[in-house]
Amino acid sequence: MVELTPMIDVVFLLIVFFMVTSEFARDVRADLELPQLEGEQRPEPEEAGLIINIRADGAIVLSVSDEPMDLIELGVRLRAVFSEEGASEARVLVRADARASTTRLNEVVRLLHDAGVGSTRMGTEVPSERSAP
Amino acid sequence: MRFQKRRSRVRVDRLTMNLASMIDVTFLLLVYFIVSTVMARPEDQLTSAIQTRDAESAGAEIDYQPQVVEVVAIDGVPFYVIGNRRLGDLAGLRRVLEDLPTELGVFIRVSADLPVDFALAAVQAARDAGFEQVTYVPQD
Repeated sequence: MVELTPMIDVVFLLIVFFMVTSEFARDVRADLELPQLEGEQRPEPEEAGLIINIRADGAIVLSVSDEPMDLIELGVRLRAVFSEEGASEARVLVRADARASTTRLNEVVRLLHDAGVGSTRMGTEVPSERSAP
Repeated sequence: MRFQKRRSRVRVDRLTMNLASMIDVTFLLLVYFIVSTVMARPEDQLTSAIQTRDAESAGAEIDYQPQVVEVVAIDGVPFYVIGNRRLGDLAGLRRVLEDLPTELGVFIRVSADLPVDFALAAVQAARDAGFEQVTYVPQD
């Protein structure tokens, strides 16, 4: 006679664990249609750092679960982050939807510059079919 | 004296394992992963320095004329302007950039009324042309 209770316990525990961790993984990368570009194609992936998502309608979110924020709020958040890390060394990835207006991108980039960030990285989506050179 | 050899009756118990529960768990996990998997699209990035117009005009240290690509919308149509040349396609921009000296770097100025797609395409073209130093200058 096999006792099933501990097995069921373990199964539910595993399910809860995976549900929680997968939510964390998806949290910072909003579902956007990034520009279809090859990017720099570095052999080793870099640490993402702070991710700023710009949706097609121009809404700015730092993570999926966050409410959209305006530039003033983003400025406050950036100052809070950079007061700990230091802006010059900060790694910032701007993930902007391809359909979003550059007005919003330019505002965010200018805000980063004013906060002391010297360079930024902009997210692209690698096309599925690479065109032959 | 005769000893009668006692025949030992060894009971052989077959150890059996019920695999049904394990298979249940395996399929349950498999179904969970299939349902919860989000196919993440491969992403990359384009690094560029940031410079605002104010910083650019105040930058007295620069003693050379920077190479500038302007991304503008003329009658709603995006164009890449470099020097006196106005280019409508990315391949043309890439060809022009390949003829320029890469060590000086390039500035990308993007007009505010275009989709992000065109801004990043210009940065990509500069990278493809071999420019290591690409500076993004946001326009008002």
